[in-house]
Amino acid sequence: MSSYYTNLIRQFSLTDFKLKYHGSVLGYLWSLLNPLLIFGTLYLVFSIFMRFDVENYHLFLLLGIVVWTFFSESTLNSMQSLYSKSNILKKIYFPRTIVVIASNFTTFFGFLLNLFVFFIFMFFTGVGFSLQTFLLLFYVLCLFFISLGMSYILSALNLRFLDIGHIWRIFLQIGFWITPIIYPLSLIPEQYHNYFLLNPLYLIIEGFRYSLLGMGTVTLLTIFLTLFYTIVIFVLGTLIYKKLSYKFAEWV
Amino acid sequence: MNAIEVTNLSKSFKIPHDRKTGLKSVLLGFLHGSSGSDTFHALKNVDLQVKKGEFLGITGPNGAGKSTLLKLLAGVLQPDTGKIQINGKLSPFLELGLGFNGELTAEENIYIYGTILGLTRRQIKNRFQEIITFAGLEKFVHTKLKNFSSGMLARLAFSIAIQVDADILLVDEVLAVGDEAFQKKCYEVFKKFKKEGKTVILVSHDKQIIKKFSDRVITFKDGKI
Repeated sequence: MSSYYTNLIRQFSLTDFKLKYHGSVLGYLWSLLNPLLIFGTLYLVFSIFMRFDVENYHLFLLLGIVVWTFFSESTLNSMQSLYSKSNILKKIYFPRTIVVIASNFTTFFGFLLNLFVFFIFMFFTGVGFSLQTFLLLFYVLCLFFISLGMSYILSALNLRFLDIGHIWRIFLQIGFWITPIIYPLSLIPEQYHNYFLLNPLYLIIEGFRYSLLGMGTVTLLTIFLTLFYTIVIFVLGTLIYKKLSYKFAEWV
Repeated sequence: MNAIEVTNLSKSFKIPHDRKTGLKSVLLGFLHGSSGSDTFHALKNVDLQVKKGEFLGITGPNGAGKSTLLKLLAGVLQPDTGKIQINGKLSPFLELGLGFNGELTAEENIYIYGTILGLTRRQIKNRFQEIITFAGLEKFVHTKLKNFSSGMLARLAFSIAIQVDADILLVDEVLAVGDEAFQKKCYEVFKKFKKEGKTVILVSHDKQIIKKFSDRVITFKDGKI
């Protein structure tokens, strides 16, 4: 049974991956181009037209975009993936978590490619790895499981209410601007800084920047909060998804 | 020992008067206090025992609960009340060719469907030639499925499905697709299954087919046997 589980995850991810890039001339390069184009545009606007006082702003910006892109694609792809399997859900039983896990692996693979591109930028800028880099693994894991937890909640609800997909897209737009991705937190008046601790994605992006670029602040409190949010969102997401998955076949 | 034991099984569905997939309509319905749905009892206290190696045929009019029973046995739906006990590995064929994707080749789709049915990658690899030959699609291994005719699709799906190593098979109206030659092939496979001592539940409107193969025939009406 457990081999059925892993076989199916592998097969679904592979299929997702093939379908995502099938028939396009640039193939896999599209997954790199998308965040790079966003980065290029924003970089143009915020480093030439309006300037932020940030050292190595291009690295600061690219890293934020790479992390945010994974979170947004992870949730959106999972919703799409579960919805597109409506017919299979009605006709055969398999552990329903497979769909969301497989979709997240596919998205995660794209994320690793993006991170690799970031390393190339880093190399050419002359920023090397340091002792803090070991924290990266912690933040990558937190990012993955927070995204997985959110994917569980959203894709299950989306199957019942198709509005969820639209609402979430708007939410992601707002989230992109209220999270310090293109601007540094230091730009925000100090009295508001505590509110940012409520945003797990802010904490994670800050952690990525701290571990790779030595920027920003990471304290025991923020590390603890990141871990706390990750566990709560992942556990809650898994429970909600498993509870609702009994109803999937009746909803679709 | 019985392969399948069903006791006191009931399942009902809520059928909304208007389709409430939108949040707005659900919220409005909630505010106005309208229940707005009927309850449809698809199965009412069904008891059923299927012996190991038995070939059971199920007939009955539309909406009598045949497919609901199969979906409950397959674990796709959860029962309201009652118990289902299954001894052995069960494979449902409520529809052939699940997960088939037109944008991918026949080869890739064999791996997708085979995996969904519980075969491992190695098993599929070993039986690949057999699947292709049985389906008669040697020339189209690398053709995208969207270019297949519906007959070719049915043959491919069926050839993969019969590779499954299950003790209990649930078959729902699969014979409705395909031409006569294909149906004949299906019959032969059914005979083989029977010889191998597999437990088969076959659902069909076609009483002749049912009578021809089944050791026992039950008829559903209004959610009861």
